[in-house]
Amino acid sequence: MFCFQCEQTDRTGSSPGCSGTRGNCGKTQPTADLQDLLVHAVKGIAQYASRARALGAADDDAARFVLFAMFTTLTNVNFTPTRFVALLREAKAVRDRVRDRYEEAARARGQQPETLTGPATWKAQPDLDGLLRQAAEVGVRSGLDVVGADVVGLRALCLYGMKGVCAYAHHATVLGLRDQKVYAEVEDILSFLADDPTDPDELLSRATRVGMLNLDVMRLLDAANTGSYGSPEPTAVRTTPVVGKAILVSGHDLKDLAVLLEQTAGTGINVYTHGEMLPAHAYPALRAHPHLVGNYGGAWHEQQHEFARFPGPILMTSNCIIEPHLSYRHRIFTTGPVGWAGVRHLTEDFEPVIQAAKAMPGFTTTEPEKVVTVGFARDAVLSVVDRIVEAVRSGAVRHFFLVGGCDGPTPGRDYYGEFAENVPQDSLVLTLGCAKYRFNHKDFGDIGGIPRLLDLGQCNDTYSAITIALRLAEEFGCGVNELPMTLVLSWMEQKAIAVLLTLLALGIRNIHLGPELPGFLTPSLAARIVDQFGLRTTGEATTDVARALERQ
Amino acid sequence: MEETWPVSLTTADGETLDITCGNDQTVVDAAADSGLWLPSLCRQGTCGSCRGTVKSGEYELGTHNPDALPPGNNRDVLLCRTVPRGPITIDLPYSHDRILLDGIRVHSGKITELSPVTRDVVRLVLHLDPSAEGTPGSQFDAGQFVQLEIPNRDVKRSYSMCNTGNWDGRLEFLIRLRPGGAFSSYLRDEARAGHPLVVHGPQGAFGLHETGLNPRWFIAGGTGLGPLLSMARRMAEWQDPQPARLLLGVNEESDVFGTADLDAIRDQLPDFAYDICVWHPTPTWAGRHGTPAEIVRNDLRTTPAPPDIYVCGPPPLVDSIIETATACGIAENHIFFERYLPN
Repeated sequence: MFCFQCEQTDRTGSSPGCSGTRGNCGKTQPTADLQDLLVHAVKGIAQYASRARALGAADDDAARFVLFAMFTTLTNVNFTPTRFVALLREAKAVRDRVRDRYEEAARARGQQPETLTGPATWKAQPDLDGLLRQAAEVGVRSGLDVVGADVVGLRALCLYGMKGVCAYAHHATVLGLRDQKVYAEVEDILSFLADDPTDPDELLSRATRVGMLNLDVMRLLDAANTGSYGSPEPTAVRTTPVVGKAILVSGHDLKDLAVLLEQTAGTGINVYTHGEMLPAHAYPALRAHPHLVGNYGGAWHEQQHEFARFPGPILMTSNCIIEPHLSYRHRIFTTGPVGWAGVRHLTEDFEPVIQAAKAMPGFTTTEPEKVVTVGFARDAVLSVVDRIVEAVRSGAVRHFFLVGGCDGPTPGRDYYGEFAENVPQDSLVLTLGCAKYRFNHKDFGDIGGIPRLLDLGQCNDTYSAITIALRLAEEFGCGVNELPMTLVLSWMEQKAIAVLLTLLALGIRNIHLGPELPGFLTPSLAARIVDQFGLRTTGEATTDVARALERQ
Repeated sequence: MEETWPVSLTTADGETLDITCGNDQTVVDAAADSGLWLPSLCRQGTCGSCRGTVKSGEYELGTHNPDALPPGNNRDVLLCRTVPRGPITIDLPYSHDRILLDGIRVHSGKITELSPVTRDVVRLVLHLDPSAEGTPGSQFDAGQFVQLEIPNRDVKRSYSMCNTGNWDGRLEFLIRLRPGGAFSSYLRDEARAGHPLVVHGPQGAFGLHETGLNPRWFIAGGTGLGPLLSMARRMAEWQDPQPARLLLGVNEESDVFGTADLDAIRDQLPDFAYDICVWHPTPTWAGRHGTPAEIVRNDLRTTPAPPDIYVCGPPPLVDSIIETATACGIAENHIFFERYLPN
């Protein structure tokens, strides 16, 4: 096992990376190795799929499989070796089908099909032991001795960005929004990576292509979410329990939440959101369910004690799941790409969750109401853009700070709470992702009726933030980098890498990234990216706020 | 000052737990002092439920039942009889979620069904009483057991559940009535629906393992069917993808039981099959005959995919299956077993 895809990777050795029998995320060696092999197999599909699509023989089902398979390999998504063995079998079948389509299409055009090498030729071993032997040859550091750490790091940057892209695209796909241009680009970039590229400039150029692809995907996901459930509206969300039976829904997938709300309608069971599901309350079609009563708990890394004390079952719809304690392992359920060995996995029929909720006591008392406000997505903010522009021009609003990304357990993440609290009273704090749980329960007040704390949504809603920034730049007749706006990003996993690449590809400079730079970036790579894209690392919160205000 | 030794325990899922063991302390007791309740039952070397494998270090293995730990298994130990004599590292054959952190739970329950299955096997169904905060349900992993205690009597016996974890508080057992056995006599002569019992558990390390999509072969001797039936039922309920087959070995045709339960699993799980194997059949018996080991040996020779073997029953049956499977090339870490020993 070797994995350095997330921020919590082991940094105690000579170079960052989890190895041994278990990663810091809880991923076991077989799971990590099977994930590596699945990525390898998916690259093989992409090699044929990109060529087939170019010949007019696209296989969109194969593209959707690629999205889903990549999603399962993200941090804190799937920890089930059996699931990966099954996915590898499916990957082989998909690869064979796409290969046949490609070769048939080539011959139909009078062309000799290419004889591909690399992942396209992968021969699936029949059992786990055989697959694990194969996995040892295709890890993320494959070729390190030959190409060096910088090239391995750049390949990882592209690959992990693609994992994030695939996760976001899968969320859009399940809501019915499918874009063949996206599928084509996903296949092209994965096919490029299948060839084990060695040119650093080409790899960095592809990384920005990953970023631009992610922009298209985020736009698609935004359209999928708002098209299905309406445009988010400012909404006060209860954060304290009400008496009654209860189900907790975590993760990011709005469709799973919607399906559960429909299946629990009229049962008397209340549904609570957890973690990144908090912004769901702002969507009109979801808020219309009266039994979507509130939000419970904080960010993902608090789940073990929060789930243990929640008096009902939990449904995990996407990342981030961490090892379920024995105290709640029988009442946590997974769906979609998520999995944990020994935890029951469900697909759209959530009856076992409902049964558990009915059997469990639920909340026996109603606590005094507390709320947080969410729902300041692009439409809500831009509906008052005139007021915002005027507030900036009058000097009432001095600066915008977008504090976005993931929360996590490491002490360095205190930075984000300290940062937000040190933002001066004449500036706004925009939030995105679960890093907001560090401070969203505090009263930030308002500036002339404009709340100082504006939550734009999940990390999945990055398109909203980009739209707002671009519109403000248009209003002020300047580029985004000239706006009085600072981006402060907290990264943990690969979706954040995709978002970072998007921001870099858009030319947005001076982003503060932390709490640690990705472990797969060597010092020389980090220096190059800092230089080329103006990326900054987080430092001391009050100093960083001051420097941002001085536009340094 | 008493000498102590560091003990490093590694679970099947790679978790390492470090404890300190006193000079005359067993590993099970030292773990409990550290708040880790390792799967164990008798704590006197007779039941075999606390098996582990010493990877390095010196130790002393106390007296124990050879049926619980057959000789010849190099450095396999019973942790309730293992006293370290220096720093020691031990592999545990179960994942770390089988280690209880808050001790063994105790519930009260009532008999809701007690019915004969064969001449000496009964089906016992209990329902746990609702807890103060509501009905917690009956949650356990397929393969685990509980200890059933008759209130106000010094009678406590271990039985594996044959159903799956549920929210109704239901526990179902297949129990062989042993002549002269205290709990057997209670079940035969006194127990009725509505009688209370005290339930200690769930406990135990036996259970399904994630090894990919290998076929799962369940081999039961008599009421060793219980935990294997639970596993097969769980596979059906969760729609697990592995192909599965179950072989139940009994002595005579009149000992056959469980076919309705197995038929129900077959209806739910497309890739499930079962066989009954009778050791001493009458001429009219149309099914398989012989010992389970003979059948397993024969079938392993022709199977295209090496299976994971799960076996439960009397020690001679378990040992013969382990020996047969090993001889046929099944790796040790693909054989999972529980020996049924007298309580």
